Amino acid sequence: MKSSWNTYDTGPFFDELITPAGTPRVAARRAVNLFKEMTNEEMNARRSAAELAIIDMGISFTVYSEGENIDRAWPFDMIPRIITGKDWAKVSRGLAQRTRALNAFIDDIYNQQRILKDGIVPAETVLESGNYKAQCAGMSPRYGAWAHICGTDLVRDKDGRFYVLEDNLRVPSGVSYMLENREITKRVLPELFENYSVQPVDDYPSRLFSTLASLSPRDRRRPCVVVLTPGIYNSAYFEHSFLARGMGAELVEGSDMFVDDDDCLYMRTVDGPERVDVVYRRIDDDFLDPEVFREDSTLGVPGIMRAWKAGNVAIANAPGSGVADDKVVYAFVPDMIRYYLNEKPAIRSVKTYLCMIEKDREYVLNNLEKLVVKPANESGGYGLMVGPHSTSKQRDKFSRLIQENPRNYIAQPTLSLSTAPTYIGDTVAPRHLDLRPFILSGKETWVTPGGLTRVALVEGSLVVNSSQGGGSKDTWIVEGSR
Amino acid sequence: MRLLSRVAERLYWMARYLERAEDTARLLRSHTHLIMDIPSGSEPSWEVLLQTLDAEEGFSRNHRVANETNVLRFLMADLENLSSIARSIQAARENVRTTRDVLPAEVWEHVNELYHYSREHSASSVGRRNRHRFLEQVIGRCQMINGLIMTTLCRDHTNRFVRIGHLLERADMTTRVLDVGIGTLMNEERNPSTTDPLVWASVLSSLSALETYRRTVGPLVEGAEAVDFIFRDGTLPRSLKFCLNGIREELAPMQNNTAAMKVIDRARRSLSRFDPHKAGRLDMHRFIDKFQANLLALGTEINVAWFLTEQA
Repeated sequence: MKSSWNTYDTGPFFDELITPAGTPRVAARRAVNLFKEMTNEEMNARRSAAELAIIDMGISFTVYSEGENIDRAWPFDMIPRIITGKDWAKVSRGLAQRTRALNAFIDDIYNQQRILKDGIVPAETVLESGNYKAQCAGMSPRYGAWAHICGTDLVRDKDGRFYVLEDNLRVPSGVSYMLENREITKRVLPELFENYSVQPVDDYPSRLFSTLASLSPRDRRRPCVVVLTPGIYNSAYFEHSFLARGMGAELVEGSDMFVDDDDCLYMRTVDGPERVDVVYRRIDDDFLDPEVFREDSTLGVPGIMRAWKAGNVAIANAPGSGVADDKVVYAFVPDMIRYYLNEKPAIRSVKTYLCMIEKDREYVLNNLEKLVVKPANESGGYGLMVGPHSTSKQRDKFSRLIQENPRNYIAQPTLSLSTAPTYIGDTVAPRHLDLRPFILSGKETWVTPGGLTRVALVEGSLVVNSSQGGGSKDTWIVEGSR
Repeated sequence: MRLLSRVAERLYWMARYLERAEDTARLLRSHTHLIMDIPSGSEPSWEVLLQTLDAEEGFSRNHRVANETNVLRFLMADLENLSSIARSIQAARENVRTTRDVLPAEVWEHVNELYHYSREHSASSVGRRNRHRFLEQVIGRCQMINGLIMTTLCRDHTNRFVRIGHLLERADMTTRVLDVGIGTLMNEERNPSTTDPLVWASVLSSLSALETYRRTVGPLVEGAEAVDFIFRDGTLPRSLKFCLNGIREELAPMQNNTAAMKVIDRARRSLSRFDPHKAGRLDMHRFIDKFQANLLALGTEINVAWFLTEQA
């Protein structure tokens, strides 16, 4: 293995483990040395062991392809991404701050709308967004927390600094893979842990439970918390079941619950109806309650919004939280931090051009080949254009789309996503990655140490989504060198 | 421990399908043995299997001749046939897939493996050469899953509904196995004394009860005694009495159980009144019909009391 490590070329990018001079970074040194000593056969044996563990543990994700749902084994690269505790502390502080501001923003939007009245954020960008749910106006959930579970996507640019790419405030997924990745690494590379003190991640389910339990409208020792799933055919069903098991909570479908005349939510058990205190829902707002949102939804519970508004049940994330999960609103988050918290943003956002603003639009249309153009309202990497990799035909198409519907598009400079050594075939090569930490907000705010690192397995590719050929890595936050 | 009605229902059906797969495999195994024991020309028909499994209608849709290959393929490997082994295993797996969060992880793993085994081997095991091995595998794997459940699951509602599913299906299948025996004897007109013991021994062995019968009742297998044993020996885990008692035990502490308990007690009374020594073959057949109707009614009451979601 030595040879492919010795010829490893970081190129112009920031590499997580290797310096531009080709030597391992301090925190990664022992890990890299261990990998260097392994023969290809050893590396392959570990990789097979990891693949086997993934199948045994039943870790899968579902892709919808050609009219069919296919369960695929989770693609995993065994070389961990290593971040120092010192670097992470800064990021973690920034994420907590950002999430506090976002929650303050959502609470404000559905109540006084001070930030709109003060002209900090243009009112129409918020109130005309499909993510703004008028039905939630006047609500103020406990602790002012709306987005209780937030998955924030980070990238690391050439300068090695972390930037927030987007905030996922609706039903962010991926946390189960973060936990499983650690589990797999422990199984297949146990000796790697010998020289490191790695911050553990496996208390996430109990942290999640505490956060959810803190929202309970009834004061009980152990509130009744449920995970609401759209069912087995959802791509994240594995995670729903995983988290329910991890919390010892019921995994329910919409039809398992009903709202009674007392405006309380109940689930149907063999001992009769049982009142539910907190719903961790993994379905979108639109499907939550056919009485309020989409009438044709069979995934939700008729009347659940009534129960929520009456204060008889907590819903996480709170309906309407998506109003802050919008690529246009994203551009204003640094302003929100200053406005609500009177603090300086501790983590950077990416410079964002709003096509709705004439000056920005002009710049975007003239610089399409340099920018990443994104629809304001899609996730999963669909419908975006990466300028430097685009054809003139694609640029023409996006130019037209932007002019037709400027509110719907934003553009950002193409960041150089950082890379990390990834075992491809039988060589180690740099591949681009991002990072999704999870932030819990209830009575307290808590940030996962690390998060889910997703890696684009195709050479040069920046698309890390598992539905589009992405893989993942275990992410280590390590304490000082020993 | 609380248990969602939907999850209870799926657990119950998981258990029923697993039991059905195992018991069908037992039935096919012992019938195959029986047919080999009886001189050619006077063997019982394969069709009798279709009759006892209520599968004639489905069979005749795609088949004209009820010969060995057609019948066995239909009962072992046909996924369109709701009572085939392959289909039962598939249905059991579907039910476990959505209740994994209340079962030990190994249950899913083993059910999944059983499913892959059946998918790969059911069609190629129809011939006599591989049949035995396939049936043994199905029985063995089902038993392993049962053992796993028995030794790892807390004795709470989860276990309760799994157990009810097993017992109800087993009682039903036991009556069907007996019906095969009775049907075989009713259909034949030769000297009964030579084939009778073979048929009854086959029935007992498909219930894994032959050795116990010999020790408890005696070495000679005789019709009325065998039926009495299978119906009313409360210690034999595949007897009707044992199954009913077991279900009753599980239902007794449940809320909302009045209707279901009524049906159970009706079935138990009629079982204790029935005397196989005085009954002819036709009477036995009629009794089995009535008993199956009671099981069906019991299934309906369980469904209404604990699964159907009209509680609001």
